[in-house]
Amino acid sequence: MYPAIIEEYLAPATVADALAAIAKHDGEATVFAGGMSVMQAIKARLIEARCVIDLGNIAELRGVSVGPDGAAIGPMTRYADLVRDKKLHGAYQALNDAASTVGDRQVRNRGTIGGSLCWNYIAACMPPTVLALDARIELTAPGGGKRTVPIGEFFLGALETVRRDEELMTKITLPAAKGKAGSSYKKWSTQVDGLPIIGVAVYIETDGSGVCTVARFAVGGILPIVKRSAAAEGQLVGTKASDADGIARATAAAAEELDPQGDRWVQAAYRKLLIQSLGGEVVAKAFERATGGAA
Amino acid sequence: MNKDVKISINGVAYEKSVPLRMLLVDFIRDEAGLTGTHIGCTYEGRCGTCTVQMDGEAVKSCMLLAVQADGREIATVEGLASNGRLHPLQEAFNEHHALQCGFCTPGILMNTEEFLKENPDPSEAEIRRSLVGNICRCTGYDHIIDAIQTAAKRLRQA
Ligand SMILES: Cc1cc2nc3c(=O)[nH]c(=O)nc-3n(C[C@H](O)[C@H](O)[C@H](O)COP(=O)(O)OP(=O)(O)OC[C@H]3O[C@@H](n4cnc5c(N)ncnc54)[C@H](O)[C@@H]3O)c2cc1C
Ligand code: FES
Ligand code: FES
Repeated sequence: MYPAIIEEYLAPATVADALAAIAKHDGEATVFAGGMSVMQAIKARLIEARCVIDLGNIAELRGVSVGPDGAAIGPMTRYADLVRDKKLHGAYQALNDAASTVGDRQVRNRGTIGGSLCWNYIAACMPPTVLALDARIELTAPGGGKRTVPIGEFFLGALETVRRDEELMTKITLPAAKGKAGSSYKKWSTQVDGLPIIGVAVYIETDGSGVCTVARFAVGGILPIVKRSAAAEGQLVGTKASDADGIARATAAAAEELDPQGDRWVQAAYRKLLIQSLGGEVVAKAFERATGGAA
Repeated sequence: MNKDVKISINGVAYEKSVPLRMLLVDFIRDEAGLTGTHIGCTYEGRCGTCTVQMDGEAVKSCMLLAVQADGREIATVEGLASNGRLHPLQEAFNEHHALQCGFCTPGILMNTEEFLKENPDPSEAEIRRSLVGNICRCTGYDHIIDAIQTAAKRLRQA
């Protein structure tokens, strides 16, 4: 498979230059992050890329910083960078988990967190992870105007987000934990590290005695978009790591509430089972990371 | 539309004018004439036989445009041997019968060469996971695992 004619290729070094190029092309240009999804679409001729704007040279869009106000992640930060980033351990460790199981080594060397969120593939690993981490997405328009969208409002439907064609995703921010916090992500696929049938991300905050005070439980691989389960989150608050029955009730509530559909490959009942079993594992892991194994 | 690029492959600079839509894998094979880098799937980026290293990192060269490699260093399987001596990975693949048709081998070598720098003493499970992006239809992988283990040991001792 070969791409159709490409008339222009630009690799600007700054966000301002990239936005100017986008404005010049009236929002019709094709933006490249890691290219791991967009190249497939271009080769399949689903996207006609007359002008390519490659974000690969923009240093200001890369990198992770973690401080007292939370974390800031550049959208061009690659999976390979997230895997190795120990600053994320504990509260944001679901990002390490998710990044380390995306695709394969070669895909992780190129693919980016921002690309995954902008593409919003139904089974992708980053959308449920940042949803559980309660991210905020900064979008910048030509001229420099910025808006910030809570992640719960960012995803619209399969392959659709609220980002306008002329906007770039310029930052992903994660709130600071109030108590001791931990998070975790796990997926189940038909092949190792493949696109998941179900992926579950969980974030837990605990008080001094290891009791859960805040819970966020997000699931990917369900139609039409990644979702949080309010029922599971309500049940998790007040539980401890040792409360196996309470945690099982919470994951069962998630399976019921999210009501996943079956398809050609997998029955609905199997997806429900996966939400429960993966849910139990990631909740246990998130508690362990929050409390350091105590409680 | 064309663009002038300068791409270094195994230390040799290739200066060419290429169509913007040319894939990096086609630049390597057709412009530089280095046909050790193979094309298996070309579409989804799944098979991994086109794997090369760009600035030292394993990437699938069918998933990049040639213009994206402008000014960068590409390493292909042809550059693995040095001074007439096979790379320890190549020697171990030979000894362990880790290839049959050999179609997947260049991609596996270029991926694994980077992997062993990142993880010089991998477990069998880690080696298997490192190969998810490289499909081999012949060997069943067992001999590939043996070869990688042997090469890793020799590289650690070197
Ligand atoms: C073999 C293979 C296996 C894979 N397995 C998995 C898997 O297991 N789990 C998983 O989650 N994903 C998987 N993927 C998809 C992979 O994660 C992609 O990297 C990801 O979906 C897109 O990221 P990217 O950086 O490559 O983005 P690109 O493909 O470059 O871009 C994707 C889209 O986002 C837009 N975009 C990107 N960045 C910005 C920005 N900053 N502002 C505005 N628009 C932007 C682009 O214009 C494009 O429309 C796999 C891909 C391959 C090839
Ligand atoms: S040719 Fe199959 S991954 Fe590149
Ligand atoms: S040796 Fe034939 S595909 Fe691997």
